[in-house]
Amino acid sequence: MGKIYSLHDAIAKYVSDGDFIAFGGFTTNRKPFAAVHEILRQGKKDFIVQTGPAGHDVDMLIGEGRVKAFINCYIANSGFTNVCRRFRKAYEQGKLLMEDYSQDVLMLQLHAASLGLPFLPVKLMIGSGLETEWGITKEQRQKIDKLPDDKFVTIENPFKKGDKVLACPVPEIDTAIIHVQYASPDGTCRIIGDEFHDVDIAVAAKKTIVTCEQIISDEQIRRDPTLNSIPGFCVDAVVLAPFGAHPSQCYSLYDYDKAYYKAYDVASKTEEDFKTFVDEWVYGVKDHEEYINKLGASRLAKLQVIPGLGYAVDMTKEG
Amino acid sequence: MADYTNYTNKEIQAVNIAKCIQNDQIVIVGTGLPLIGASLAKRIYAPKCHLIVESGLMDCSPIEVPRSVGDARFMAHCAVQWPNIRFIGFEANEWLHNEDRLIAFIGGAQIDPFGNVNSTSIGDYHHPKTRFTGSGGANGIATYCNTIIMMQHEKRRFMQKVDYITSPGWMEGPGGREAHGLPGNRGPLMVVTDRGILKFDKDTKRMYLAGYYPSSSPEEIIENTGFDIDVSKAVKLDAPDPEVIRMIREEIDPGQAFIKVPVEEKA
Repeated sequence: MGKIYSLHDAIAKYVSDGDFIAFGGFTTNRKPFAAVHEILRQGKKDFIVQTGPAGHDVDMLIGEGRVKAFINCYIANSGFTNVCRRFRKAYEQGKLLMEDYSQDVLMLQLHAASLGLPFLPVKLMIGSGLETEWGITKEQRQKIDKLPDDKFVTIENPFKKGDKVLACPVPEIDTAIIHVQYASPDGTCRIIGDEFHDVDIAVAAKKTIVTCEQIISDEQIRRDPTLNSIPGFCVDAVVLAPFGAHPSQCYSLYDYDKAYYKAYDVASKTEEDFKTFVDEWVYGVKDHEEYINKLGASRLAKLQVIPGLGYAVDMTKEG
Repeated sequence: MADYTNYTNKEIQAVNIAKCIQNDQIVIVGTGLPLIGASLAKRIYAPKCHLIVESGLMDCSPIEVPRSVGDARFMAHCAVQWPNIRFIGFEANEWLHNEDRLIAFIGGAQIDPFGNVNSTSIGDYHHPKTRFTGSGGANGIATYCNTIIMMQHEKRRFMQKVDYITSPGWMEGPGGREAHGLPGNRGPLMVVTDRGILKFDKDTKRMYLAGYYPSSSPEEIIENTGFDIDVSKAVKLDAPDPEVIRMIREEIDPGQAFIKVPVEEKA
Protein backbone atom coordinates (compact mmCIF):
# COMPACT_ATOMS: atom_id res chain seq x y z
CA MET A 1 0.00 0.00 0.00
CA GLY A 2 1.65 3.22 -1.15
CA LYS A 3 5.06 3.70 0.40
CA ILE A 4 4.47 1.65 3.52
CA TYR A 5 7.43 -0.51 4.51
CA SER A 6 8.44 -2.54 7.49
CA LEU A 7 11.26 -0.86 9.38
CA HIS A 8 13.59 -3.65 8.35
CA ASP A 9 12.82 -3.30 4.66
CA ALA A 10 12.95 0.50 4.65
CA ILE A 11 16.42 0.56 6.20
CA ALA A 12 17.62 -2.34 4.04
CA LYS A 13 16.47 -0.62 0.86
CA TYR A 14 17.20 3.06 1.51
CA VAL A 15 20.24 3.13 3.78
CA SER A 16 23.56 2.13 2.23
CA ASP A 17 27.07 1.90 3.61
CA GLY A 18 28.89 5.20 3.12
CA ASP A 19 25.74 7.32 2.88
CA PHE A 20 25.74 10.97 3.82
CA ILE A 21 23.00 10.74 6.39
CA ALA A 22 20.96 13.30 8.35
CA PHE A 23 18.64 12.63 11.28
CA GLY A 24 15.71 14.72 12.46
CA GLY A 25 14.90 15.75 16.00
CA PHE A 26 16.64 17.91 18.57
CA THR A 27 18.83 16.45 21.37
CA THR A 28 16.14 14.64 23.41
CA ASN A 29 13.09 15.42 21.28
CA ARG A 30 11.60 13.45 18.36
CA LYS A 31 14.80 11.58 17.58
CA PRO A 32 14.29 8.65 15.16
CA PHE A 33 15.61 6.05 17.58
CA ALA A 34 13.71 3.04 16.15
CA ALA A 35 15.41 3.63 12.80
CA VAL A 36 18.84 4.18 14.36
CA HIS A 37 18.48 0.90 16.27
CA GLU A 38 17.60 -0.90 13.03
CA ILE A 39 20.60 0.64 11.22
CA LEU A 40 22.79 -0.72 14.02
CA ARG A 41 21.17 -4.17 13.82
CA GLN A 42 21.69 -4.35 10.05
CA GLY A 43 25.38 -3.56 10.45
CA LYS A 44 25.35 -0.57 8.09
CA LYS A 45 28.38 1.65 8.37
CA ASP A 46 30.83 4.28 7.09
CA PHE A 47 28.34 7.09 7.31
CA ILE A 48 29.00 10.76 7.03
CA VAL A 49 26.62 12.17 9.61
CA GLN A 50 25.45 15.74 9.64
CA THR A 51 22.48 16.34 11.80
CA GLY A 52 21.05 19.07 13.99
CA PRO A 53 21.82 19.00 17.69
CA ALA A 54 22.48 15.32 18.25
CA GLY A 55 21.80 13.05 21.18
CA HIS A 56 22.73 9.45 21.81
CA ASP A 57 21.31 8.51 18.41
CA VAL A 58 24.63 9.64 16.96
CA ASP A 59 26.55 8.70 20.12
CA MET A 60 25.59 5.05 19.62
CA LEU A 61 26.58 5.10 15.95
CA ILE A 62 29.95 6.56 16.94
CA GLY A 63 30.34 4.10 19.83
CA GLU A 64 29.64 1.25 17.45
CA GLY A 65 32.16 2.51 14.91
CA ARG A 66 29.66 3.25 12.15
CA VAL A 67 30.64 6.86 11.52
CA LYS A 68 33.36 7.73 9.00
CA ALA A 69 33.02 11.48 9.58
CA PHE A 70 30.82 13.51 11.90
CA ILE A 71 29.83 17.07 11.06
CA ASN A 72 29.01 18.39 14.50
CA CYS A 73 27.42 21.40 16.14
CA TYR A 74 26.30 19.91 19.46
CA ILE A 75 25.95 16.42 20.89
CA ALA A 76 24.36 15.85 24.29
CA ASN A 77 21.43 14.17 25.98
CA SER A 78 20.87 17.58 27.57
CA GLY A 79 19.99 17.41 31.24
CA PHE A 80 20.98 13.73 31.40
CA THR A 81 24.42 13.57 29.79
CA ASN A 82 25.86 16.99 29.13
CA VAL A 83 28.45 15.77 26.64
CA CYS A 84 27.71 12.45 24.94
CA ARG A 85 30.31 10.06 26.29
CA ARG A 86 31.13 7.68 23.44
CA PHE A 87 31.57 10.68 21.16
CA ARG A 88 33.81 12.34 23.71
CA LYS A 89 35.92 9.28 24.26
CA ALA A 90 36.31 8.60 20.55
CA TYR A 91 37.36 12.17 19.84
CA GLU A 92 39.72 12.43 22.79
CA GLN A 93 41.38 9.19 21.67
CA GLY A 94 41.79 10.50 18.13
CA LYS A 95 39.46 7.87 16.72
CA LEU A 96 36.78 10.14 15.30
CA LEU A 97 37.04 12.32 12.23
CA MET A 98 34.98 15.38 13.02
CA GLU A 99 34.30 18.90 11.87
CA ASP A 100 32.81 21.61 14.06
CA TYR A 101 30.36 24.20 12.80
CA SER A 102 28.27 26.49 14.92
CA GLN A 103 24.70 25.29 15.30
CA ASP A 104 23.53 28.31 13.33
CA VAL A 105 25.76 27.53 10.37
CA LEU A 106 24.99 23.82 10.42
CA MET A 107 21.23 24.35 10.52
CA LEU A 108 21.46 27.00 7.80
CA GLN A 109 23.47 24.53 5.69
CA LEU A 110 20.65 22.01 5.98
CA HIS A 111 18.15 24.73 5.09
CA ALA A 112 20.29 25.87 2.16
CA ALA A 113 20.28 22.27 0.97
CA SER A 114 16.48 22.27 1.07
CA LEU A 115 16.47 25.47 -0.98
CA GLY A 116 18.87 24.00 -3.54
CA LEU A 117 21.41 26.79 -3.03
CA PRO A 118 24.97 26.36 -4.36
CA PHE A 119 26.64 27.64 -1.18
CA LEU A 120 25.82 29.47 2.01
CA PRO A 121 27.28 32.89 2.86
CA VAL A 122 27.40 33.66 6.60
CA LYS A 123 28.84 36.20 8.97
CA LEU A 124 28.91 33.58 11.71
CA MET A 125 31.93 31.76 13.19
CA ILE A 126 34.09 34.79 12.33
CA GLY A 127 36.83 35.54 14.85
CA SER A 128 36.29 32.24 16.66
CA GLY A 129 38.07 28.91 16.68
CA LEU A 130 35.36 27.72 14.31
CA GLU A 131 37.04 29.95 11.72
CA THR A 132 40.68 29.34 12.60
CA GLU A 133 40.60 25.59 13.24
CA TRP A 134 39.55 22.89 10.82
CA GLY A 135 38.67 19.56 12.38
CA ILE A 136 39.15 17.80 9.04
CA THR A 137 42.04 19.01 6.90
CA LYS A 138 41.85 19.74 3.21
CA GLU A 139 44.01 16.65 2.51
CA GLN A 140 41.68 14.41 4.53
CA ARG A 141 38.65 15.96 2.85
CA GLN A 142 40.05 15.33 -0.62
CA LYS A 143 40.17 11.62 0.17
CA ILE A 144 36.49 11.47 1.14
CA ASP A 145 34.21 11.78 -1.89
CA LYS A 146 31.20 13.05 -0.04
CA LEU A 147 32.97 15.81 1.85
CA PRO A 148 33.66 19.17 0.24
CA ASP A 149 37.37 20.04 0.00
CA ASP A 150 36.99 23.08 2.23
CA LYS A 151 35.28 23.72 5.55
CA PHE A 152 34.47 27.16 4.09
CA VAL A 153 36.04 29.77 1.83
CA THR A 154 36.48 33.36 2.98
CA ILE A 155 35.10 35.82 0.44
CA GLU A 156 34.19 39.48 0.17
CA ASN A 157 30.50 40.23 0.08
CA PRO A 158 30.04 40.94 -3.65
CA PHE A 159 27.44 43.58 -2.76
CA LYS A 160 29.36 45.32 0.00
CA LYS A 161 32.98 46.23 -0.41
CA GLY A 162 35.22 45.13 2.44
CA ASP A 163 32.52 43.01 4.12
CA LYS A 164 33.99 39.64 5.12
CA VAL A 165 31.80 36.61 4.59
CA LEU A 166 32.38 32.88 5.00
CA ALA A 167 31.05 30.86 2.06
CA CYS A 168 30.08 27.48 3.48
CA PRO A 169 29.43 24.32 1.48
CA VAL A 170 25.90 22.98 1.19
CA PRO A 171 25.64 19.28 2.08
CA GLU A 172 24.51 16.75 -0.49
CA ILE A 173 22.44 14.47 1.69
CA ASP A 174 21.86 10.90 0.56
CA THR A 175 19.46 9.83 3.26
CA ALA A 176 17.25 11.69 5.71
CA ILE A 177 15.55 9.86 8.54
CA ILE A 178 12.86 11.57 10.58
CA HIS A 179 10.24 10.48 13.08
CA VAL A 180 6.84 12.20 12.90
CA GLN A 181 3.56 11.86 14.71
CA TYR A 182 1.43 11.10 11.65
CA ALA A 183 1.96 10.11 8.03
CA SER A 184 -0.22 8.74 5.27
CA PRO A 185 0.61 5.84 2.92
CA ASP A 186 1.56 8.24 0.11
CA GLY A 187 4.16 9.84 2.37
CA THR A 188 2.37 13.02 3.43
CA CYS A 189 3.67 13.98 6.88
CA ARG A 190 2.09 15.74 9.78
CA ILE A 191 4.51 17.01 12.42
CA ILE A 192 2.97 18.29 15.63
CA GLY A 193 4.99 20.90 17.50
CA ASP A 194 8.29 22.30 16.34
CA GLU A 195 9.41 20.86 13.00
CA PHE A 196 13.12 21.44 13.87
CA HIS A 197 15.17 20.85 10.68
CA ASP A 198 13.14 17.78 9.72
CA VAL A 199 11.32 19.35 6.78
CA ASP A 200 14.61 20.75 5.45
CA ILE A 201 16.37 17.40 5.38
CA ALA A 202 13.32 15.57 4.01
CA VAL A 203 13.29 17.96 1.03
CA ALA A 204 17.08 18.00 0.59
CA ALA A 205 17.85 14.28 0.79
CA LYS A 206 17.86 11.97 -2.21
CA LYS A 207 16.08 9.34 -0.07
CA THR A 208 13.82 10.05 2.90
CA ILE A 209 12.60 7.52 5.42
CA VAL A 210 9.77 8.55 7.72
CA THR A 211 8.85 6.58 10.81
CA CYS A 212 5.57 7.56 12.43
CA GLU A 213 3.42 7.02 15.47
CA GLN A 214 0.27 6.53 13.47
CA ILE A 215 -0.80 6.08 9.87
CA ILE A 216 -3.62 8.30 8.64
CA SER A 217 -5.35 7.54 5.35
CA ASP A 218 -4.37 9.66 2.33
CA GLU A 219 -7.92 11.07 2.23
CA GLN A 220 -8.10 11.86 5.92
CA ILE A 221 -4.72 13.61 6.11
CA ARG A 222 -5.85 15.97 3.31
CA ARG A 223 -8.87 17.16 5.27
CA ASP A 224 -6.64 19.51 7.23
CA PRO A 225 -3.61 20.37 5.10
CA THR A 226 -2.79 23.26 7.45
CA LEU A 227 -1.27 20.67 9.76
CA ASN A 228 0.82 18.93 7.11
CA SER A 229 4.38 19.94 6.37
CA ILE A 230 5.92 17.42 3.97
CA PRO A 231 4.27 16.29 0.72
CA GLY A 232 4.57 12.61 -0.11
CA PHE A 233 6.74 13.48 -3.15
CA CYS A 234 9.66 14.04 -0.77
CA VAL A 235 9.23 10.71 1.02
CA ASP A 236 10.38 7.26 -0.09
CA ALA A 237 9.32 5.07 2.79
CA VAL A 238 6.71 5.36 5.52
CA VAL A 239 7.17 3.06 8.51
CA LEU A 240 4.67 2.59 11.30
CA ALA A 241 6.76 2.68 14.48
CA PRO A 242 4.76 3.52 17.58
CA PHE A 243 7.07 4.92 20.27
CA GLY A 244 9.65 5.15 17.50
CA ALA A 245 11.23 8.20 19.16
CA HIS A 246 11.62 6.44 22.52
CA PRO A 247 13.47 7.26 24.76
CA SER A 248 13.18 10.84 23.40
CA GLN A 249 10.04 12.97 23.47
CA CYS A 250 7.32 12.98 20.86
CA TYR A 251 5.41 16.21 21.28
CA SER A 252 1.73 15.93 22.25
CA LEU A 253 2.07 12.16 22.73
CA TYR A 254 4.85 11.11 25.08
CA ASP A 255 7.64 12.48 27.23
CA TYR A 256 11.25 11.38 27.43
CA ASP A 257 11.96 8.23 29.43
CA LYS A 258 14.09 9.63 32.25
CA ALA A 259 15.03 6.20 33.61
CA TYR A 260 16.25 5.07 30.19
CA TYR A 261 18.29 8.23 29.68
CA LYS A 262 19.83 7.85 33.11
CA ALA A 263 20.66 4.22 32.36
CA TYR A 264 22.33 5.24 29.10
CA ASP A 265 24.25 7.96 30.92
CA VAL A 266 25.72 5.42 33.30
CA ALA A 267 26.27 2.70 30.71
CA SER A 268 28.01 4.98 28.22
CA LYS A 269 30.74 5.81 30.72
CA THR A 270 32.78 2.76 29.77
CA GLU A 271 33.22 0.83 26.55
CA GLU A 272 32.29 -2.37 28.33
CA ASP A 273 29.04 -1.13 29.89
CA PHE A 274 28.11 0.58 26.64
CA LYS A 275 28.49 -2.72 24.77
CA THR A 276 26.35 -4.47 27.38
CA PHE A 277 23.71 -1.75 26.99
CA VAL A 278 23.49 -1.95 23.20
CA ASP A 279 23.62 -5.74 23.36
CA GLU A 280 20.57 -5.64 25.57
CA TRP A 281 18.54 -2.85 23.97
CA VAL A 282 19.57 -2.91 20.31
CA TYR A 283 21.08 -6.23 19.21
CA GLY A 284 19.26 -8.27 21.85
CA VAL A 285 15.88 -7.48 20.34
CA LYS A 286 14.81 -8.67 16.90
CA ASP A 287 12.98 -5.52 15.88
CA HIS A 288 11.17 -2.44 17.15
CA GLU A 289 8.15 -4.49 18.18
CA GLU A 290 10.30 -6.58 20.47
CA TYR A 291 11.94 -3.40 21.78
CA ILE A 292 8.63 -1.86 22.89
CA ASN A 293 7.49 -5.18 24.31
CA LYS A 294 10.68 -5.31 26.32
CA LEU A 295 9.96 -1.81 27.67
CA GLY A 296 6.47 -2.96 28.58
CA ALA A 297 3.04 -1.40 28.35
CA SER A 298 2.91 0.19 31.78
CA ARG A 299 6.30 1.87 31.37
CA LEU A 300 5.22 3.37 28.05
CA ALA A 301 1.78 4.35 29.37
CA LYS A 302 3.44 6.39 32.09
CA LEU A 303 5.23 8.47 29.46
CA GLN A 304 2.00 9.79 27.97
CA VAL A 305 1.87 13.57 28.18
CA ILE A 306 -0.88 15.34 30.02
CA PRO A 307 -2.68 17.67 27.61
CA GLY A 308 -2.35 21.19 28.94
CA LEU A 309 0.97 20.46 30.55
CA GLY A 310 2.71 18.94 27.56
CA TYR A 311 4.76 16.53 29.63
CA ALA A 312 4.25 13.43 31.75
CA VAL A 313 3.89 13.64 35.49
CA ASP A 314 2.71 11.23 38.12
CA MET A 315 -0.01 13.32 39.73
CA THR A 316 -0.42 10.97 42.65
CA LYS A 317 3.01 12.13 43.76
CA GLU A 318 2.43 15.82 43.22
CA GLY A 319 0.38 16.57 46.30
CA MET B 1 10.06 26.14 59.16
CA ALA B 2 12.51 25.81 56.34
CA ASP B 3 15.50 28.14 56.45
CA TYR B 4 15.78 30.47 53.45
CA THR B 5 18.64 32.61 54.75
CA ASN B 6 21.25 29.92 54.04
CA TYR B 7 21.59 30.81 50.35
CA THR B 8 24.22 29.01 48.27
CA ASN B 9 26.68 30.47 45.75
CA LYS B 10 24.59 29.06 42.92
CA GLU B 11 21.43 30.65 44.30
CA ILE B 12 22.96 34.10 44.67
CA GLN B 13 24.36 33.68 41.16
CA ALA B 14 20.84 32.92 39.88
CA VAL B 15 19.42 35.93 41.73
CA ASN B 16 22.04 38.20 40.16
CA ILE B 17 21.33 36.75 36.74
CA ALA B 18 17.68 37.64 37.33
CA LYS B 19 18.57 41.21 38.25
CA CYS B 20 20.36 41.69 34.90
CA ILE B 21 17.08 41.29 33.05
CA GLN B 22 14.84 44.26 32.31
CA ASN B 23 11.22 44.61 31.31
CA ASP B 24 10.54 44.35 27.56
CA GLN B 25 13.88 42.67 26.92
CA ILE B 26 13.86 39.53 24.83
CA VAL B 27 16.04 37.12 26.72
CA ILE B 28 17.79 34.19 25.07
CA VAL B 29 18.09 31.51 27.71
CA GLY B 30 19.47 28.03 27.81
CA THR B 31 18.64 25.53 30.49
CA GLY B 32 20.28 25.50 33.90
CA LEU B 33 21.09 28.65 35.84
CA PRO B 34 20.05 31.21 33.19
CA LEU B 35 16.62 29.64 33.06
CA ILE B 36 16.30 29.72 36.84
CA GLY B 37 17.44 33.36 36.80
CA ALA B 38 15.08 34.27 33.98
CA SER B 39 12.15 32.50 35.66
CA LEU B 40 12.89 34.54 38.75
CA ALA B 41 13.09 37.75 36.70
CA LYS B 42 9.67 36.99 35.19
CA ARG B 43 8.20 36.57 38.67
CA ILE B 44 9.88 39.50 40.45
CA TYR B 45 12.30 41.85 38.75
CA ALA B 46 11.07 42.08 35.17
CA PRO B 47 7.64 40.48 34.72
CA LYS B 48 7.38 41.90 31.20
CA CYS B 49 10.52 40.24 29.84
CA HIS B 50 10.20 37.59 27.14
CA LEU B 51 12.09 34.30 27.06
CA ILE B 52 13.19 32.67 23.84
CA VAL B 53 15.36 29.61 23.20
CA GLU B 54 17.73 28.81 20.35
CA SER B 55 15.66 25.87 19.15
CA GLY B 56 13.20 28.51 17.88
CA LEU B 57 10.56 28.52 20.61
CA MET B 58 9.45 32.10 21.16
CA ASP B 59 8.09 33.79 24.27
CA CYS B 60 8.25 30.77 26.53
CA SER B 61 6.78 30.37 29.99
CA PRO B 62 7.50 26.82 31.07
CA ILE B 63 5.81 25.29 34.11
CA GLU B 64 8.21 22.46 34.92
CA VAL B 65 11.93 23.14 34.42
CA PRO B 66 12.98 21.98 30.92
CA ARG B 67 16.17 19.97 30.52
CA SER B 68 16.98 21.04 26.98
CA VAL B 69 16.14 24.00 24.75
CA GLY B 70 14.14 21.61 22.57
CA ASP B 71 12.22 20.17 25.53
CA ALA B 72 8.44 19.77 25.24
CA ARG B 73 8.32 21.70 28.53
CA PHE B 74 9.27 24.81 26.52
CA MET B 75 7.39 23.76 23.42
CA ALA B 76 4.02 23.35 25.10
CA HIS B 77 4.16 26.81 26.68
CA CYS B 78 5.28 29.39 24.14
CA ALA B 79 3.80 31.77 21.59
CA VAL B 80 5.34 30.36 18.42
CA GLN B 81 7.19 27.14 17.59
CA TRP B 82 9.67 28.36 15.01
CA PRO B 83 12.29 26.07 13.56
CA ASN B 84 15.81 27.01 14.63
CA ILE B 85 16.65 28.75 11.32
CA ARG B 86 14.04 31.45 12.01
CA PHE B 87 15.58 32.07 15.41
CA ILE B 88 18.91 32.60 13.64
CA GLY B 89 17.30 35.00 11.16
CA PHE B 90 15.57 36.88 13.96
CA GLU B 91 18.85 37.25 15.86
CA ALA B 92 20.58 38.67 12.76
CA ASN B 93 17.66 40.95 11.89
CA GLU B 94 17.61 42.46 15.35
CA TRP B 95 21.19 43.54 14.68
CA LEU B 96 20.47 44.67 11.11
CA HIS B 97 17.57 46.81 12.38
CA ASN B 98 19.73 48.18 15.16
CA GLU B 99 17.22 47.02 17.75
CA ASP B 100 18.42 46.81 21.31
CA ARG B 101 15.98 44.28 22.74
CA LEU B 102 17.95 41.04 22.82
CA ILE B 103 20.03 39.95 25.76
CA ALA B 104 21.55 36.49 25.89
CA PHE B 105 23.08 34.23 28.49
CA ILE B 106 25.95 31.98 27.56
CA GLY B 107 28.32 29.87 29.62
CA GLY B 108 31.69 28.29 29.18
CA ALA B 109 34.68 26.49 30.63
CA GLN B 110 37.25 29.24 30.08
CA ILE B 111 37.19 33.02 29.69
CA ASP B 112 39.88 35.63 28.99
CA PRO B 113 40.10 39.31 30.13
CA PHE B 114 38.18 40.45 27.02
CA GLY B 115 35.28 38.05 27.50
CA ASN B 116 36.22 35.55 24.81
CA VAL B 117 34.70 32.25 25.89
CA ASN B 118 35.69 28.65 25.29
CA SER B 119 33.02 25.96 25.54
CA THR B 120 34.53 23.57 22.96
CA SER B 121 37.58 21.81 24.37
CA ILE B 122 40.41 21.97 26.90
CA GLY B 123 43.94 21.65 25.59
CA ASP B 124 44.87 21.43 21.93
CA TYR B 125 41.74 21.49 19.76
CA HIS B 126 42.94 18.56 17.66
CA HIS B 127 44.09 16.46 20.62
CA PRO B 128 41.98 17.74 23.49
CA LYS B 129 42.39 16.78 27.09
CA THR B 130 38.67 17.29 27.47
CA ARG B 131 36.20 17.67 24.67
CA PHE B 132 32.75 19.28 25.14
CA THR B 133 29.64 19.25 22.97
CA GLY B 134 30.54 21.96 20.50
CA SER B 135 29.19 25.44 19.89
CA GLY B 136 25.46 24.88 19.93
CA GLY B 137 23.84 28.31 19.58
CA ALA B 138 26.57 30.12 21.54
CA ASN B 139 28.71 31.27 18.63
CA GLY B 140 25.80 32.83 16.74
CA ILE B 141 24.52 34.47 19.90
CA ALA B 142 27.95 35.94 20.69
CA THR B 143 28.20 37.19 17.10
CA TYR B 144 24.92 39.10 16.98
CA CYS B 145 23.77 39.76 20.56
CA ASN B 146 24.87 41.44 23.74
CA THR B 147 25.68 38.70 26.19
CA ILE B 148 25.90 38.01 29.88
CA ILE B 149 28.37 35.25 30.56
CA MET B 150 27.98 32.79 33.42
CA MET B 151 31.11 31.24 34.81
CA GLN B 152 32.35 29.30 37.77
CA HIS B 153 34.92 31.64 39.25
CA GLU B 154 38.14 29.61 39.34
CA LYS B 155 41.73 30.50 38.45
CA ARG B 156 41.96 27.74 35.84
CA ARG B 157 38.88 29.12 34.08
CA PHE B 158 39.74 32.85 34.17
CA MET B 159 42.85 32.81 32.06
CA GLN B 160 45.03 35.16 30.02
CA LYS B 161 44.47 33.14 26.85
CA VAL B 162 41.71 30.59 26.32
CA ASP B 163 42.46 27.31 24.52
CA TYR B 164 39.82 27.94 21.85
CA ILE B 165 37.35 30.76 21.20
CA THR B 166 33.85 29.36 20.81
CA SER B 167 32.03 32.64 21.50
CA PRO B 168 33.88 35.80 20.51
CA GLY B 169 33.89 38.54 23.15
CA TRP B 170 35.76 41.83 22.62
CA MET B 171 38.50 39.81 20.86
CA GLU B 172 41.89 41.57 21.41
CA GLY B 173 40.29 44.69 22.90
CA PRO B 174 39.04 47.99 21.47
CA GLY B 175 38.22 47.66 17.76
CA GLY B 176 38.94 43.95 17.89
CA ARG B 177 35.53 42.79 16.80
CA GLU B 178 35.40 45.18 13.85
CA ALA B 179 38.89 44.15 12.76
CA HIS B 180 37.75 40.52 12.54
CA GLY B 181 34.56 41.42 10.69
CA LEU B 182 32.20 40.99 13.63
CA PRO B 183 29.43 43.44 14.58
CA GLY B 184 31.30 45.97 16.72
CA ASN B 185 28.27 47.28 18.57
CA ARG B 186 27.54 43.94 20.17
CA GLY B 187 29.53 42.01 22.75
CA PRO B 188 29.71 40.79 26.32
CA LEU B 189 28.25 43.17 28.90
CA MET B 190 29.09 41.32 32.08
CA VAL B 191 30.15 38.09 33.68
CA VAL B 192 28.11 36.69 36.55
CA THR B 193 30.01 34.16 38.62
CA ASP B 194 29.52 32.33 41.90
CA ARG B 195 31.71 35.00 43.54
CA GLY B 196 30.61 38.27 41.98
CA ILE B 197 29.83 40.38 38.93
CA LEU B 198 32.43 41.57 36.45
CA LYS B 199 31.96 44.17 33.74
CA PHE B 200 34.04 45.42 30.80
CA ASP B 201 35.73 48.80 30.78
CA LYS B 202 34.23 51.10 28.12
CA ASP B 203 37.62 52.13 26.75
CA THR B 204 39.93 49.17 27.27
CA LYS B 205 37.25 46.43 26.98
CA ARG B 206 39.03 44.63 29.81
CA MET B 207 37.16 42.88 32.55
CA TYR B 208 36.99 44.53 36.00
CA LEU B 209 35.26 43.59 39.21
CA ALA B 210 32.01 45.52 39.59
CA GLY B 211 30.54 43.76 42.61
CA TYR B 212 31.15 40.90 44.99
CA TYR B 213 28.76 38.84 47.08
CA PRO B 214 28.68 39.04 50.87
CA SER B 215 29.92 35.44 50.79
CA SER B 216 33.00 36.53 48.80
CA SER B 217 35.56 39.38 48.81
CA PRO B 218 37.78 41.28 46.34
CA GLU B 219 40.79 39.40 47.74
CA GLU B 220 39.13 36.05 47.13
CA ILE B 221 38.27 37.12 43.59
CA ILE B 222 41.83 38.27 42.82
CA GLU B 223 43.05 34.92 44.10
CA ASN B 224 40.64 33.03 41.86
CA THR B 225 41.26 35.01 38.69
CA GLY B 226 44.13 33.93 36.44
CA PHE B 227 44.85 37.46 35.13
CA ASP B 228 45.23 40.90 36.69
CA ILE B 229 41.85 42.20 37.69
CA ASP B 230 40.97 45.75 38.72
CA VAL B 231 38.87 45.62 41.89
CA SER B 232 38.97 49.35 42.70
CA LYS B 233 35.40 49.95 41.52
CA ALA B 234 33.89 46.91 43.24
CA VAL B 235 30.96 47.29 45.60
CA LYS B 236 29.57 44.74 48.03
CA LEU B 237 26.29 43.35 46.70
CA ASP B 238 23.24 42.63 48.84
CA ALA B 239 22.46 39.17 50.20
CA PRO B 240 19.37 37.76 48.51
CA ASP B 241 15.98 38.23 50.16
CA PRO B 242 14.92 34.95 51.86
CA GLU B 243 11.58 35.21 50.01
CA VAL B 244 13.46 35.06 46.70
CA ILE B 245 15.37 31.98 47.85
CA ARG B 246 12.06 30.40 48.91
CA MET B 247 10.71 31.01 45.42
CA ILE B 248 13.70 29.29 43.78
CA ARG B 249 13.47 26.26 46.07
CA GLU B 250 9.70 25.84 46.31
CA GLU B 251 8.33 27.16 43.00
CA ILE B 252 10.94 27.43 40.28
CA ASP B 253 13.15 24.39 40.79
CA PRO B 254 11.42 22.21 43.37
CA GLY B 255 12.90 19.09 41.79
CA GLN B 256 16.40 20.56 42.29
CA ALA B 257 17.14 19.94 38.63
CA PHE B 258 19.73 22.70 38.53
CA ILE B 259 20.17 24.08 42.04
CA LYS B 260 20.71 21.84 45.02
CA VAL B 261 19.29 22.94 48.36
CA PRO B 262 21.87 22.82 51.16
CA VAL B 263 21.29 19.89 53.48
CA GLU B 264 20.37 21.08 56.97
CA GLU B 265 22.70 19.80 59.62
CA LYS B 266 20.98 17.72 62.23
CA ALA B 267 21.18 19.22 65.71
